[in-house]
Order: sequence, then structure tokens, then C-alpha cells
Amino acid sequence: MTLPAPDRHTTELSAAFVELRTALGRVLVGQDDAATGLTLALLAQQHAYLEGPPGCGKSELAAALATLSGARTHTLVFHRDIRETDLLGDVLLSRRRHRGHERLRRELIPGPLLQAEVALLEDLPRSPGEALGPLLRILAERHALGQALPLESAVATGPLEQVEAPIDPLEPGQLDRFAVQLRLTGLLTGELFDEAAVLLAREAARVPPRSADPTAADSAGVPSAATAAPRSAAVIGTATRNAAQRAAAALRIEPRTLDAYHRLLDRLRQRSADQSASGDRLMSDRSFSSAALRLVRAHAFLRGAPAAAPRDLGAIRYMVAHRLPDEVQEDFDHILEELLGDPPNVTMAEAGAQMPGAQNQGDDDSDPGAAVSQASDSWIDDQADLPAPPALFGQPPPPAQVDPLLRALVGRIERGRIDPDTDPGGQPRGYRPLRDLDELIDADVIEALLFTEGRLPGAPRTFERKRRSAGGAVAVLRDISASMAGRLTVWSSQVVLGILRVAARRRMRVGYVEFHHRALPHEVGGRLLHRSYSRLAEQAGQAKAVGQTNYEAPLRTALEGLRGGSGRNRHVVLLTDGLPIIGDTSVRRERQLARRLGVALHTVFLGNGDCPPVLDDISAETGGLRFCGRPLTGGGLRLEER
Amino acid sequence: MTDLAPLRALLDHHVVGHDEVKTALLLALVTREHIYVEGPPGTAKTRLAEVAAKGSELDFFFYQLHRDTRLAELVGDIVLERRRVKTEAADSDGAGEAERIHQRIEPGGLLTAEIAVLDDISRAPGEALNVLLRILNERRFGAEPIPLMAAIATGNPMDDEYYNEPLDPANLDRFALQLRVTGLIQSGAEEARTLIDRFAAGSVVEQPDPEAVTDRATLDALNQRMYEVEVGPVVRAALLDILRTLVLEFECNETNSLLTDRTFLVKAIKILRGAALLAGRTAVELADLAALSWMTTFRVPAEAHEALPRIIGRVNRQVRAV
Repeated sequence: MTLPAPDRHTTELSAAFVELRTALGRVLVGQDDAATGLTLALLAQQHAYLEGPPGCGKSELAAALATLSGARTHTLVFHRDIRETDLLGDVLLSRRRHRGHERLRRELIPGPLLQAEVALLEDLPRSPGEALGPLLRILAERHALGQALPLESAVATGPLEQVEAPIDPLEPGQLDRFAVQLRLTGLLTGELFDEAAVLLAREAARVPPRSADPTAADSAGVPSAATAAPRSAAVIGTATRNAAQRAAAALRIEPRTLDAYHRLLDRLRQRSADQSASGDRLMSDRSFSSAALRLVRAHAFLRGAPAAAPRDLGAIRYMVAHRLPDEVQEDFDHILEELLGDPPNVTMAEAGAQMPGAQNQGDDDSDPGAAVSQASDSWIDDQADLPAPPALFGQPPPPAQVDPLLRALVGRIERGRIDPDTDPGGQPRGYRPLRDLDELIDADVIEALLFTEGRLPGAPRTFERKRRSAGGAVAVLRDISASMAGRLTVWSSQVVLGILRVAARRRMRVGYVEFHHRALPHEVGGRLLHRSYSRLAEQAGQAKAVGQTNYEAPLRTALEGLRGGSGRNRHVVLLTDGLPIIGDTSVRRERQLARRLGVALHTVFLGNGDCPPVLDDISAETGGLRFCGRPLTGGGLRLEER
Repeated sequence: MTDLAPLRALLDHHVVGHDEVKTALLLALVTREHIYVEGPPGTAKTRLAEVAAKGSELDFFFYQLHRDTRLAELVGDIVLERRRVKTEAADSDGAGEAERIHQRIEPGGLLTAEIAVLDDISRAPGEALNVLLRILNERRFGAEPIPLMAAIATGNPMDDEYYNEPLDPANLDRFALQLRVTGLIQSGAEEARTLIDRFAAGSVVEQPDPEAVTDRATLDALNQRMYEVEVGPVVRAALLDILRTLVLEFECNETNSLLTDRTFLVKAIKILRGAALLAGRTAVELADLAALSWMTTFRVPAEAHEALPRIIGRVNRQVRAV
């Protein structure tokens, strides 16, 4: 083993990484945090996940890390059709004659990814499950095909979690393999106009591409390093890099730093528990023990400090993008500052007072399955720009607990949903034997070859491609009559947003109809049903209560909208607080039509008095759910089955 | 006029109308950017690309995408290289032989073309397009640069009824220039008459095989000259003001728009330079900002796109006043 290096040497090593950080910071305008995060990841030999809106320079930054660090690199662009051999390497097929029979064996020869010191994994979430599973295991174990890998850091890029995105985001458990998680902001959409001006000036000064082949350069078109940091030059050598990594890993952590770390974790847990809506975050043991401390050491090393001091806990902020609720992330620097400024005895007292809260959170965490399933439903919480519910009494009313309704609704939706369909354009979700020679195009190439040569005993494997049914539709009918004023407006907004979230996650089409004495459908492109979830979410936050209640008109509108479509997964959710006064109050024809179309009419009664019997009839006849709001002490509302 | 005047004349000779598409096509060739043209079938999209390719002696690749498009169809053939290798001696199984099989792609199609037409891009599964579009974007396949100058993609109107999954907006962002076209006859354009007259006179060549009027070297030289076009602080300030207006007044954000830094801070500079160059100037002027509306077509909400000429006009007046 290498002993800790002498001081002068350590200073040099640290300076080399500082230079790397500086060079990396020059690659993009206004993304210094990401540059620091990536530098720490390489120094601590941790993997990093880089996400951001398209065209903000993710790939450019990752590529620059590879080049500037002088590491042996392999870039892999993930796509739907990526295969095992792309990840692992070539196939070695051996044939041996043995006592009169022939034995065929298939092995893999480690490919370039397995020899890389820095691996760039572009567009990782696009990977089909077949490739992603093995890859994440390899990243975690740093071991494949019976050999240890030289891998220091893998840097993956991916899109921002987005509602309308056609790909499923990675789950928190998968993202947890990447200790460092960085979120890049677009300069324009982030309203960083000063930085945007700098970038424009840089581009205006751009000279023609240097190479003889003008098409070769100016690649990603992203704020390229061409003018500032030449792409080809490494600022650090492999020997230096590895020595620095060893020295950083061996750095001492001061006891007071560990104390502070425990207190920081308590605070983060506490604050995360307060943000009950963001159940999709994961504070795993793996990350917050080993990886976190490595990053803290790396942070101290980069500062040139002899040991990790409490301020080096700042490195934790590069870990939190998918591990803490957004609100807590934004507050991270403040939380840390406050904690480092606090005399310890005050904090102890506070920690005592916080015990019950912390305990509760512990209980919630004990069911990781629940956390993950909630995760897949939460996007609205991530959308910073969604409108807040209107404040009516100076401050917003206590929130409605809409989860019981959403869970029941999801249950109905899932029940009506068919399993992923086999579809030649779908995602590979497994292997199956070839059934038809037409499928040879999608078969494992090597096996297909052997098959055609008559050297494969069975049929070659081919991908089983499936497409998840994006079918189904849900129309939300929301009473906005005058009696819905006040907190009912806020609560019904929450119900609508929850339903939109459920629908968005399943790519169901949605319709949104507000109604009083008339139905006010919010159509997009002349259609009631569409997938503009964000637009409806915005709309749902703006409803104003006026007029009187009419059930007939909105039900008629919704059913007409649903009529054109097919499939059995069609739902209407009627949200109201009172008796219908206008129109056919028993909505006979609409109930009949719903039964004929096979549309489930779910009813949610939010009012104070008794639920109108007609709502029970509507739901009972069409197999819909029946819910009502029960006021809670303290002013909140809980939705329960009637 | 510029070096591309003969090419423009050639396009005019073979295709009636579609002035904007022609200009954008030349702009794409000069700036080395890709175009996405959305419109109904039969609006001369493919023909324009073909004439431009032949007129400038460029290698042309046409591909009709379909819902089952695989990468290999676009980039060449999958080749299996097989090599005999010695087996490890220490194997107890006795004598044998082994074969190492390496799978690679023999470049063809898009990887060897200089102009590519990707027809009906909206029909291909959004997911399958990812690698294709990345090639377009980086102009590299693996480590190898590709000779592609411009790709012209066509698509049907972005409408739920036409395909299963919408085109991933991130994919659409790979096309710097974006235009919407309508048929001359359908839109009642003046040129509709010319078009019909030409067919009536029998003077239309169904399969045009135009002479080369320019060549790759000329285009390369133009591309180099593009970088000499000056983009002064006034134009940059105006550009930033326009973008600021889109973000702050029209509330373009990550949810409703594709206002990416790559497109509007990096490529916009190229497009402006190209527009000035095509107009025969060596510095970008405020008038060139009009070219921005070829970038916003599918990137910002319709009302913002439609308001763009107004925004540009207002910003120009403000900048001039200062």
C-alpha cells in the first residue's frame, strides 16, 4: 500500500486537480458548480450523473472531463437498441472437439468500456432494461467478466425529468449508483441573461474550425471548448491523477467534522420529512456513508487542507439532486451554514425536540417499495413553475390529503390497463426464441449467424419488444359553482393536480372540464382529450368559483369527448360540493351512455352536508369510486371512501 | 450577389415558389445546419434537396423512415468480422479452435452522404431516432467525422392522429432551422398558377438531372467565410433582448418551449452570420435578425412564434434609438 505522500507532493497533487477544475469551469459559461462536482467525483473516484435541459452542455462538460483528466475514455451513447456486446465486448466463440462431440462455448472479451478509466454514458435513461441492469451492477462492483476494472468515474448524462418526455426516468435506486448528481440550468430558461451575453460574445468571436475538415469540429454545437480550453490537452497525467486519488482517499477526517456530519444528516432527514409530498427521494446507506465521506475528503484535498474540516461537508451538496426534496436542496447551503454556525449544545437540545419527527420519518423509510412507487407518481412537485394554489385567507389553507383517492384511482386505472403489448417498435423487454424468419433482423447477430450456418442447436434469441400501452383517458369534471369558493377551490385544485400527475405518469390522455351552470371544457387543439398536462395544471390553479351547479352539461361534454376513443381504460372523475340545480338532475341519459361506452364515473363529494344520492347512483351503476372529503381538526381535509 | 446565386437560380428553375424553404436550404448549406420542414406530402421538399445536391455535386442520401426503422438501415451494414484465435493451452477439453467475432458497422447511407433527406421523420419511433439525431448533431460516428453538410428532415403536422408517440422535443432541437410549408394550391398562392401553367406547357422535367452549378469546394469556402462575418455588440444586444422578451414576456420555459442555449446562443450566431453572408455582407445587421423566425417555429408556443416579427421590430427600434 502507498503511505500518505509527503506534504509538498500532496500540495502539487492538489494543485493539479485545482487546475483541472479551473479548466473544466472554462468549458461552459455559468456552470461552475457542475465543474466542481465533476472534479470532486473524479478525485473521489465516484460516479456522476449529469442532467439538464437539452442543449445546455451536459455532453460537452462530460467529454471535457475525460479529455482534461488525461484518462483513458470510452463513450457509449445509449439508445433503445443497445446490446450486451456494446457494453461488454466482442464475442469469443470456441469450438472444441472432445471425444467425438463438438462443444461450443460463448464468452465475452472485455471491450473498450471495461478498459476505460473514465466512462461517458450518454443518454443513460434511454437504455433498455436489459442493458441497464448489468451496467449498473458493473459500475457498482467495478468488476466484470472475472476481472477488476480500471474504472475511476463513470459520468452519465440524462434529460431533466419531464412530464411529456417519451422515456421513463431512472428510478431513485438506479440513480443512487451515481454518488454525484448534478443538475445543469439552461442560461436562457434559467434567466441568466448576463451569462447568456458572455456566451454570445464568445460565439461571435469564434474562429473557423481548426481542422482541415470543416465538418469535423464544432461538434455538439454546445458552448464549445474550442476557444477557451483546447479539447485535446490534458491538464493532468494518469500518474498524478491516481496519486491524488489515493492521497485524497487517505485524508483524515477531523472528529468535529463527523459530529457535524451527523447533525447535518439529522437536519436533512428532518427537513425532508416536512416535505411529505416528495416521497421519491432516497437517502441510502451506501451513498451517505462511503460515497459521502469520500467526497468530503476530496473536497478537503482540493482545498489543500491536511484533514477534512466541517466546511468540507459542502461537498454533500453535489450529491443531493435526487436524494433530497427540491425545497431542501435549494436550502442546503443555508442549512449547512446555520449548522456550522451553531454552538453544539443548542443543536443537541434541538435535536432532542426533533426526535419524534425523526422517528416518524424512520418508519416511513422502512418500506422502500412504497417510496419507489410514490416516486413514479411524483412530477408535479418537481415543477418549480407550477402555480401555487391561490391564497385566500392571507395564507393558504391546510392541504387536503388526496392520496387515498389517488391510490384508489390508480388501482382502477391499473386494473383496466392491459399489459405492455408486443410491438415491433417497442422497447426490448426480454429475449425469446425466434418464431419467424422475419424476426431474424432483430435477433442476436452472433446467434443468427450460427443459426444460418447450422451450428446452433436451437433457434437464435430475439428481442421481445413491448410497448407499454399509452392508452386510456381520464376526464376531470370540476365544480366551480359559487359554493365552491374558498378552501374548497384550493382543495379541488389539489385533487385535479393529483389526477393529472397520475395520468401524466401513465401517458393517459386527459380532459379537464370546469362547470357551474354550464360546462367549460379546456380543449387543446380543438380536442377535449390530450396530453398537455402542464397546461391543464396551470389552468387548475386559476379556477374561480361562480354560478350554480349542473351535472348534466359536464357529463355530456366528457362522454362526448371520450366517445371517439376506444379501449376500456376510460374514466371520468366528477368533483363537486353540492346538489345539481340546473339541467337534468338525475343525469339519466348520461349514466346510460357511460354504461354503454364502458366509462367509469368516479364521484368525489367535497361539501359539508350529505352527499347527494345521485352521486352514489352514478358511481354504482358505472363501477366508479365514491369518495367524500372529511374535514380534519386543524382545518385540513382528508378524502375517504363514502 | 453571392457565390450561391447560380444554385438559387437552379432551385427556382426546377421548383416553383417556396421561397422561404429555398432560402433556408441555402442557409443550411452555408452554416452546416439541419432543417426540419413540416408540411403535407407533395410540396417539393425532396425535390428541392435533390436539386440542391445535384447542383452542387454533393452525395445524396434519401431515406423514408417508418415505424420500424432501425439504425443499421440508416448508417450502413452490420458487418461481422470473424477471426480465428488460438485457444488457451491449459484447457482440459483437448484440442480445439476458437473464433473471435466482432460486430461493427460498415459506413454507408447517412455516414457517407453530404446531403441527406430523411423523409417522414415523425413516423419513426421517437426512441429509435436518438442515435440518428445524435449523429446529425455531432457529425461524427464513433470517432470518425462524417462528410454530412446538411440533413433535411420532413414530417407530418405534429398531430396526435398521425403517429403513436410524439417526436421527442429534444430530437427536434437538432434541427436548427424549422419551417412549416403548405402546398401552393392549397394555400391559394400566386405561384399555383405558374405551377399549373408549367405542367400544362409540358416544360417540367419529372426526374430532374441538373448540371452542377457549384461544388463542395465553393461551399466549404463559404462556410469558412461565414466565420469572418462580424457579429457586433449591437446585434448581440438585440438578440439577447429578443430572447429576454421570449422568456420574460411570453413566459417561454422548459415546459412549453425548447429555448435551449445550444440553439439560441450558439447556433443563432451562425444563422445570423449565414444570413448576412447570403445577403452579400460581411457584418450582421439588425435586419438579419428576421432569420430567427426560422428557428422558433416549433420551439416556442405558437403565439410567441407569431409575435416574433413584432418583437424583432420593437427591439430593433429600441436599439436604434439608443
